[in-house]
Amino acid sequence: MSDGEWTPERLTELIYRVLRDDLLTPDGDFSPKSNLIDSGLDSLAVTQLLLAIEEATGIWTDESLLTPENLETSETLAASIHAHVSGL
Amino acid sequence: MSRVSERLPLTGADAFLRAFDAETRRRNRADHLSQIVLRLGPGFDGAAFERVLAEVVLANPILRAPIRRRSGIGAAEYRLDLAHREPGPRFALHESAAAAPGGWGEPVALPALFEERLNALHPRGRAGLLHADAVRYADGRTDLALTWLHMLLDGWGSERFLELLAACHRGKRAPDDVPAADGPGTPPDVALPATQRERGHMARAWQRWMSDLGRHSVRSPAGPERGARQDLAVDRFHFASGESERIRDRATTLAGFLTPMIFYLAVAIRAHHAVMRHRGEVPESYVVPLPVNLRPKGSEGGIFRTRVSLLWFQVATREVEDLERLLAALKAQRHRAIREGQIENGVAAMEYVRFAPSRLYGTMARRALRGELCSFFFAYTGEFCPGLEHFFGARVEDGFGVPSVPASPGSALVLSLREARLGVTHVRQRDAWSASELALFREQLTRDLLG
Repeated sequence: MSDGEWTPERLTELIYRVLRDDLLTPDGDFSPKSNLIDSGLDSLAVTQLLLAIEEATGIWTDESLLTPENLETSETLAASIHAHVSGL
Repeated sequence: MSRVSERLPLTGADAFLRAFDAETRRRNRADHLSQIVLRLGPGFDGAAFERVLAEVVLANPILRAPIRRRSGIGAAEYRLDLAHREPGPRFALHESAAAAPGGWGEPVALPALFEERLNALHPRGRAGLLHADAVRYADGRTDLALTWLHMLLDGWGSERFLELLAACHRGKRAPDDVPAADGPGTPPDVALPATQRERGHMARAWQRWMSDLGRHSVRSPAGPERGARQDLAVDRFHFASGESERIRDRATTLAGFLTPMIFYLAVAIRAHHAVMRHRGEVPESYVVPLPVNLRPKGSEGGIFRTRVSLLWFQVATREVEDLERLLAALKAQRHRAIREGQIENGVAAMEYVRFAPSRLYGTMARRALRGELCSFFFAYTGEFCPGLEHFFGARVEDGFGVPSVPASPGSALVLSLREARLGVTHVRQRDAWSASELALFREQLTRDLLG
């Protein structure tokens, strides 16, 4: 993955779509700003999400990078992954 | 013929645990029971508890329904229509002259009666197995244990069951106010493919995965099954709140905020390894199953029946010596298993257990691992009953699940949180552990947890 290919916005969209369509069963108000823990993100779903991100981007994000702050919303998660990748 | 609404199929995990129970009854002369313990402050209303428990059992026939195979040979089911013939829950309040429980910093001494309940062999099998005992001390504080056949409630469900009882007592819920998933005719937690061909493919993939575990030998603390009478002892201790915070931070840093169980599993493996090394019985590998809650995300989630699959881990002894290397191996195995769909494959495989003779699976598992089922049982269950501050008039000072474990492997370790303290519950076959081994086990566990 290069920064040119995967912007924070594109990562946000990917994360949001995978969570909404495949991993969670959120209500109609679910958005990229929704709290992920409150929406049902758990240990299994977060790993499935990371596997989906790896499949799309080729980059593996270790769970240990996922702090409560990073896991707050799809946007914050995307930003943390992007920052991690940019620093590699 | 009974109507469908009067029958409730066992989940695949239920059937697996029923096979466990049959083997434990036959070989170890006990049932495969689980327990939940509440340590309560003064004020527990035993009469109200007995009344509400009876009402909840009456309103939820699964709590005493017999299990029958359809037409004698089909899949096993709870026969809700026959529940009324079975006895209700048993409850007894025992006054104790023993010293009252100490504070958080004191060693935990649980009533011997609770261990007796955990090791009981019920002559009639499953019927009437929901058993409650309260032990009240001179200062009014009370220890309460609920004991049941493990397959009736898994760890998550048992905490929700306590919450149901408490809510009924406060008049906030009716005794039959349980999630829709607990009723007959509701879809399973995991939707499997429609065709038998696809399901069979998944089950075979899981079976191959299991068979591969037998490539390296395993040895549990109690050693291979030898027909010993099950005699489980329960050890419990806590970390202070400051230490617990430090441990939780360490778990988050090393394994992730939502996946701290990998850190706790690694620590548990190393504590067992310390004991095996001390004995001079280091195995080629350690094999441990990790329960995975199958309740759909965002759903209310059923209380009754076991709704889990198992992720299995196997690590070579050389990987255990270094904590970081062990963590990396466990993480990689978990990712691979999830990617390969082993959680769902396990559900498909366990579905077949519903139709097979219960004795078959325990025998197959032990044969695959040369007489052992696994190295030990493990679970990390997070915060215990968050929000449950009082229970029938008494403050909840502590609460935890006590899992069962067969005489072999003879060790189960569960970690959970209550009031910001990490609690450790170790259930073990009594004669398989010496006092010095227990001290070594705890020392290694503490060292790795605190870092």
